[in-house]
Amino acid sequence: MWVRWWILLIPPLIVGFTLVAASQFVFLRASFFEDLGLGRVGDELVIGNYVQFLTDGFYLKILWVTVKTSALAALSTLILGFPVAYLIARMRSSWSMILLAGIVVSTFITIVIKVYGLIVIFSANGLFNQTMLAIGLFDKPFSVFGNETGVVIGLMHFTLGFGVLLLYSIIQTIPKSLESAAQIHGANRWRVYYRIIFPLSLPGVTAMLLMVFNMCMGAFTSAALLGGGRVFTLPVMIQRIVMMDIKYSMGATIAAVLLVSVIVINLLSIYLLRRLRAAHLVVV
Amino acid sequence: MFKSAKNALAGIFITLFLSSSALAAGQFDGVTLLVGTWGGLWKDNQVENIVSKFEAEGGKVEFVTGSPAANFAKIVAARGQAPFDVVEILAAQVKDYHELDVLHPLDLSLIPNTEFLAESRYNEWLVGSWETQEVICYHKDKFAEEGIPVPTTYRDLVHPKLAGRIQFPDINSGGGLTGLAGVTFAEGGDETNIEPGLNLVKEMNVLKFWARGGETMAQFESGDIIASVVHAGWCLRTKKLAGQNVTTVHPRINDELVGVASEGWWGVMKNSKNAEAAQWYINQFISSDYQLKMAIKTGLVPVNQSVFEPMADDPLVAEMIVLDPEKVGSQLRVDYSKVIIPDWTDQWNRAIAQ
Repeated sequence: MWVRWWILLIPPLIVGFTLVAASQFVFLRASFFEDLGLGRVGDELVIGNYVQFLTDGFYLKILWVTVKTSALAALSTLILGFPVAYLIARMRSSWSMILLAGIVVSTFITIVIKVYGLIVIFSANGLFNQTMLAIGLFDKPFSVFGNETGVVIGLMHFTLGFGVLLLYSIIQTIPKSLESAAQIHGANRWRVYYRIIFPLSLPGVTAMLLMVFNMCMGAFTSAALLGGGRVFTLPVMIQRIVMMDIKYSMGATIAAVLLVSVIVINLLSIYLLRRLRAAHLVVV
Repeated sequence: MFKSAKNALAGIFITLFLSSSALAAGQFDGVTLLVGTWGGLWKDNQVENIVSKFEAEGGKVEFVTGSPAANFAKIVAARGQAPFDVVEILAAQVKDYHELDVLHPLDLSLIPNTEFLAESRYNEWLVGSWETQEVICYHKDKFAEEGIPVPTTYRDLVHPKLAGRIQFPDINSGGGLTGLAGVTFAEGGDETNIEPGLNLVKEMNVLKFWARGGETMAQFESGDIIASVVHAGWCLRTKKLAGQNVTTVHPRINDELVGVASEGWWGVMKNSKNAEAAQWYINQFISSDYQLKMAIKTGLVPVNQSVFEPMADDPLVAEMIVLDPEKVGSQLRVDYSKVIIPDWTDQWNRAIAQ
C-alpha cells in the first residue's frame, strides 16, 4: 500500500508558516502606513517611511555601519577560523573529536554570557589590558565599549564557533591526497594552500561567509552591549524605535530594509561567484 | 432525645467549622495579581516584604518584569489590554498613559497611606512610588590620586583626565531623559531646546552610555570608569555592594537649582479585574515600613515623608542623598508635559551615534 508520507509534513509546514511568515507579514505590512506614534498607524497605504529612510543620511549611515561591521566580522571569523578548522580536519588523533566537541559546546553558550566574558577580559583591570600595559604595548587601556572595533570583536566572538564548524565540514571534503600529490611534485606549503586548498574550498568559504554575515546583520546583543549606546546598527535601531519611541511603522520599515539588504547582498555574492566560476577562477 | 443531641452536636461542629473557615479566609482568596515592575533586587524587595503579606490574605502575585518603557510597549502591543493589573510608571510616561486611556481611576480610600505623601504625589489616577536624585557619582580615591578636582557641575566632567572614563545614561535607560534634562538645563536649555545639553554630552568624551543602572557597579569595579551620571541609589549600592569608595555630588544647575529629581508612579490598569487588590498593593508599597526598607537598601528617596527622619540615621544615605525638604524642593524637576519624547530621542540618536 502506498502511504502519502508527505501529508505528515503539512502540520509543521502550517505551524512554521504561521509563526514565521505570517507574523513577519503582519509586522512588515505596518511599514506601508504612516506612523502616528504610540503604536498607532494611519489608514492609507504610503511609502513615506521608506522615503525617509532612503533620503536621511542618518539612517543610511546606520545601514553602512551594519554592513561594514558584519562584513568585517565575517572576514575575521574566516581568518581566525580557517586555520583552526584546517588543523582539526587534518588531525589524525582523537584530539580532533575532543576539539570539535569543545567548539560545538561553545556554540551552546548564550551570547550574553559570551559578551560579558569579553567585557571582563577587555576591562581596564582585565587580563588583556593589564598584560598590554605591563609589556608596554599600550600606554592606556583599550576598551571594547562604544566603538566599531568592539562590536566587530563581539560579532566575531558570536559566530566563530559556528564558522569553524562550517569550515571544518568544507575542508574535510578536500582529499588530503591532493595536497600530498602537489607536495611530491615540489609545491611548497604556501603554494599548496594558494593553488589547491583555497580554490577548492572557495565555494564553501563563500557560503560560510554569507551565513556568518547574515547572522551578524541580524545580531542585536553584541552590538547593543558593546556598542555602548554609541554604535548603532539596524537591529539596535529597530529596538530603540520600537521599544522607546513605540513607532512600529518606522521599526517595520527598518526591519524591511534590513531584510532586503541581506537578500540583495546574498544574491549579488552568488552572482559574483558564478561569474568567477564562468571565468574558471574558481574550481567547483 | 439521643438523636436530637447528636444533631445538635453535629450542628455545633458544622457551625464551628464554617466560622473557622470564614476566619481563615483571606481578603484576596483566589486572586492572582499581576505586577509590572523591574526585576532583580527591586522585585526581590517586593517579594520579601509585600508578596508575603498578600499571600497571607490568600492571594498570589506574579511579576511581569521589565523597564517601564518595555512594560509600556507591552500595553501598546496588546492594544491596551495590559498583561498586568498594576504597573510602575515613570514621570515621562504619564502623558502617554493618559493619551492611551489605559488607567483605572483610583479609590484613594483604599490607599490610606497616601496621607503620608505630599499632595503633589497622588491623584485620582496615580500614586507616587519613589523619587530618585540624579547625581555625579565619582571615585574619591582615584580623583584624589590623579589630582582631578571634585566636580560641582556637569561641565566639570569635561576634563582631560576623565576622557573615556565616565558613564552617562543612554536615552533609552531609566535615567536617560532626566540625565539629558539635567545637562540641558545646566547649559541654559529647556524642555523645548535640548541642543545645549547634547553638545555638552558630546564634549564629555563618555566611555559608555549605560542602559541599566547596575552597569555602574560593574564598570567602577572593572576600573573602566571613575565617574558616572546616575541616580544616587546606584552610587550607594556601588559603595555598599561593590565596595568602591564612591560618593555623590548633586550638580549645580543654575543659581536657584541644585540637583535633579526624578519621579516614579504606580498606576492600575483599566482592564484589571483585580483593581481592589492592586490598590492594596500600592498601599503596601507606600507604607512607612516598606518605604524605609526600600530607601536604605536601594538608595531611592521615599515618597512617604514619615521615613525621612529614620533614613538620616543611616550614615551612607545621609552622605549621598539630600533629605532636607528645602533642598529637595530646589532640585530640578522636568515638566514632561512639554517634552516630545520621540523628538528628544531622535535628536539624541543623531548627536550621539558614532
